[in-house]
Amino acid sequence: MVAAIDPVAGSPTARIQISWHRLHAVGSRGPAHALEAAYIVPAVLSGPTAIFEGLRWDEDEDRWGYGSRCYCGRPDRSYARDGSEGPPYAGQVYLVFINEDGVAYNWRWEKAAPDAPDLPEGHDVRFRRRLL
Amino acid sequence: MTAMPNDEFADEVLKLAGKAEDFQPQAVYDPDGDCIEFLVKADPFYAKRLDDLVTVYHSQETDELVGCLIKSVTSFCRKHPQLRIVVQDGRLKLESLFLTRLPASEAGESDPVMVTYQKLAEVAHETNAEAELQTC
Repeated sequence: MVAAIDPVAGSPTARIQISWHRLHAVGSRGPAHALEAAYIVPAVLSGPTAIFEGLRWDEDEDRWGYGSRCYCGRPDRSYARDGSEGPPYAGQVYLVFINEDGVAYNWRWEKAAPDAPDLPEGHDVRFRRRLL
Repeated sequence: MTAMPNDEFADEVLKLAGKAEDFQPQAVYDPDGDCIEFLVKADPFYAKRLDDLVTVYHSQETDELVGCLIKSVTSFCRKHPQLRIVVQDGRLKLESLFLTRLPASEAGESDPVMVTYQKLAEVAHETNAEAELQTC
């Protein structure tokens, strides 16, 4: 369990689960991926620039349309393939996807919206609503 | 339920870190997201949506395609029952899944979506990528 901002309360009272299976797979990809999971994911969950609910683009909207959330943030760093630390990627944000059971199942860098550097590209059409 | 302190979480995650040089292509089904994550290189990446099934991963260093996320796997298998035929011992060849998607493109060989699916199918073939499914 990792602490996360609750979009309703505005405080870090939400709890997000991350499966051991997922962390094991990510860790085996090398230091950059392990470091992102270790430091960037918790930082985005506890200090998001936005939280969205509902994924409108996925095929199975009945399952993923409601209750699923996406935390968006602008990390203060990035990690190269060898694990060395660098500045964050310009023009990108970091997204953490949470299912309706409160489990983080995917996280990654994405291009930011050209007119809103704190938000992902297509944020206005890909989510059902913005919670924060 | 109490959250694990972030520094403690980081320590536990970093214990799992392997070496980038030891990386082998991997295709992992995640029941929490009903998705398959396919990665052929250990490069850090950014993601870009291809369509409602696939989000592609591009290397942050070279911009080349290094993997993808296949979403809503259960739903896709339901719509494409022929995939059940190619699932052997609960393992799905990703090449078959990508080839299933190709006819969905109507714009011909110049369609960038179709080109990407062809590239993904080639990479999946070269790496003999298979995902162990609990669905399909």
